Amino acid sequence: MDSQLQQALKLAPLHEYLLQGSIIDNSLDVLIHRLRGLCDNSENLPEKFQDHEMVFTMKNTSIPQPVYFRVRHSLMHPECWHLRYVGQIEMGDKNRHTLVRSCIDVSTSDNVVQFLNEMGFRLDHEFVVKGYYFHKGRMKVTVSKLFRMLQPGSTENIESISNSYLVELSVMATTGQDSVAEDMKNFSEQLKPLVQLEKIDHRRLQVM
Amino acid sequence: MAAGVNVCVEALIENKIQEVRVVEKQEGNNEQEIQEIYVQPLSLSENLSKLASKIDFYKDESDEKGKPTSEGEKETEEDKTVATFQPSLWPWDSVRNKLKSAHTEISVLLDVLNIAKEPRYMVLDQVQQTQTESKPTLQLLSKKRALMSAANLLMSGSERLRKSQAETSSKPKTDFHIELLILRQKWRLKKAGNTILGDLSYKSAGSRYWQGGTFEVIKASSLPGESTDNTNKSSLEVVVPSDLEGVAYIQVEIKSVPDSMDLMSAMLKMPSGLGPVPTEAYWQQKLEVAQNVLFCKEIFAQLAREAVQSKSSIPHIVVGNQIITNVFPGIQLSIVLCHSSGKDKDKKPPLSPHKLDHNHVLEHSLHQLLRELHHKNVHFPPPHPVTAMIGVSKKRRLAGSTAMSKRELLEMTESESLLDQIIKQTKHNVLRLRTMQTIDGFAANLSDPQLAAHWSCINNSLEASCRVIITSQGYDLRAWHSFVLQIGVDTIKVITREGKVFILSYEQQELQDFIMWQISQHQISVSQNLARLMGWNILSTSTAVGVGELESSGTASSIVLASPNHDRIIAIKSGPSSGVKIYLQSSQTNGSKIRSILKDSKWQHVGGEFQEVDISKFDGRTFASKLEILMAVLVKSNR
Repeated sequence: MDSQLQQALKLAPLHEYLLQGSIIDNSLDVLIHRLRGLCDNSENLPEKFQDHEMVFTMKNTSIPQPVYFRVRHSLMHPECWHLRYVGQIEMGDKNRHTLVRSCIDVSTSDNVVQFLNEMGFRLDHEFVVKGYYFHKGRMKVTVSKLFRMLQPGSTENIESISNSYLVELSVMATTGQDSVAEDMKNFSEQLKPLVQLEKIDHRRLQVM
Repeated sequence: MAAGVNVCVEALIENKIQEVRVVEKQEGNNEQEIQEIYVQPLSLSENLSKLASKIDFYKDESDEKGKPTSEGEKETEEDKTVATFQPSLWPWDSVRNKLKSAHTEISVLLDVLNIAKEPRYMVLDQVQQTQTESKPTLQLLSKKRALMSAANLLMSGSERLRKSQAETSSKPKTDFHIELLILRQKWRLKKAGNTILGDLSYKSAGSRYWQGGTFEVIKASSLPGESTDNTNKSSLEVVVPSDLEGVAYIQVEIKSVPDSMDLMSAMLKMPSGLGPVPTEAYWQQKLEVAQNVLFCKEIFAQLAREAVQSKSSIPHIVVGNQIITNVFPGIQLSIVLCHSSGKDKDKKPPLSPHKLDHNHVLEHSLHQLLRELHHKNVHFPPPHPVTAMIGVSKKRRLAGSTAMSKRELLEMTESESLLDQIIKQTKHNVLRLRTMQTIDGFAANLSDPQLAAHWSCINNSLEASCRVIITSQGYDLRAWHSFVLQIGVDTIKVITREGKVFILSYEQQELQDFIMWQISQHQISVSQNLARLMGWNILSTSTAVGVGELESSGTASSIVLASPNHDRIIAIKSGPSSGVKIYLQSSQTNGSKIRSILKDSKWQHVGGEFQEVDISKFDGRTFASKLEILMAVLVKSNR
């Protein structure tokens, strides 16, 4: 590999620190209000977003663990496509306050779906996410609602999955930046009791 | 009424039904029957304990006792605690406890009675009430003293209350905590140990300047004695760091170099109006001034860094608190950070009355530029889709997928430094000012033709435009000439009426020459218009005459006109420096014989000499009116 590329990859943020929580629809306004106060650019209205995510997987007898690739594109800026690989979640011990997972983000052009299909990936599931985005420094806060797509491929015809909003606090960082987790914990403390941001063990959710 | 009838009340012999079941019959031919299951009757002991558990002992006791002794109360309390702690030990437990305590009390009573009855070991005596001998005078005195001390206490208390009441009513805002609350609403404060620290830096607004702006909030220690002039004194004081004390401002000057060659001329002038801040100023004013000091320091630090780092062909000079750079040859821009710490009280008065030649507009735009920089540091474009990286512009996010070239990527990373931006604005400023001066000079000096300039109100700090209209008085609507000037950073773009575009440099002379040339062209176009109006024929026109004496700049233009009956011809030449000249073709009839071969008199003029007409002898204020008279005379004299 090119040495310059190696250097760049070393500096690239490949780890995502994550905290998750959820609120019901009624308390959305209160949380948005609080977040506007806490986050940067409080003078602006909260930034809205509307994304469509498609999860592709390769299932093969030779591959014991299926590989998932997440293709996401903005419905507000249709030219922005994004491919994301999310690795296994590390729960960590009690000393670490957040989940950590390895992440690789790539901006792509709009024919990434075709490319994945030709490589042998198949669409596993898809959904639409709508919500609000905030940031404080490098911390990214999203308050979003998930929608089920009634017709495959049609982002118009959608139905909300639940009466609640998903709240996520995440930071992309390089390895070994554990002070990030500390900052995130402090921030999540500020949001209590409106929303309880926690390390949520996804494996346990899958068992349920 | 009739005698009462005896009614017997007794419990039902039937038992209560617990449940009703539907079961299949024993015979098994799919028929069902209904079975009732009864509650078994309680045995006698079970019934007793059930009834006993319903008795509320505490209630009865308290009702009957009326006024219980203190001991009794204590006991019941103790019992209660016991009972509440172990309520379900045994149904008779509380009853037993009650009985036990009653038994104890009875035994004690019996003992007392025994002792009273049989005075063998102990005798009950009446207790002697010792009658203290009281002297009425002494009593009176002690009472008086006690009352006095009580009265004193009350008086001093009321005095203190009255004082505080008066204080709050006269100065409602002097409470430390209320002021702290107001301070907290306007500034960032935090508590560190016993001190309250505030932050007046622009860090939260996106500044990355190294110098912090921590100030300390303390309670004002005003003594009650010096309350003569503290009507507007607050009970809160702020202590700003020593290097942020005083007043600071950025002074921008544009100088032409020969005027002031010495570099040190700027180290100086402190306008007397902006003296040191009075120490007892209100905290809000004090903090604002300190914040301004910090901001000016940041501007200067940023500019100085950029000046040193910049790789432009003309080096920038940073001397002390001054940055000097050359804008145009002979024109210098100097940016000075003026900061008076406010400590040197014996400051000498300003040597000369402060020249107000500094540029307010550029000073303001420096502030604006730094604020824009701050804004950019905090306001990232939002990521779409939301999982994308933050802090990256949309263009850069798309750079990979749209396969941008290296050059395009490098272009994207380039950003203009603060210094470059201010130099550009300065250049534009100088250029605009020069253009204005040039046009105004022409407009003031010229009476024929006249110049009018219309400056567009829509402009920005790097571009302005202006339309110049050339007219002749009295012929304004018939003949006019115009061109548009677009003043950029260091060039002026000129668009003439015909759509020709010229780019002029920052040199004033170029614009002057151009305007002169336009004026000379205007005279020709006026002549042309007049000729048409009066029925003269245009024989030829030329915008660039190749003959005749050379103009100092530009080219002369000319027009040749023939009278309506073609017997007179005049030629007009207009040059930027030589001015307008009219030549009349003299007829050959003067001084020579009439050539009889010519059938028509008009041929007599062919080949005649041209002679200059002295137009200053004509009546009329402008060239156009003089020409009109000349043309009219020529036509008339011919008839």
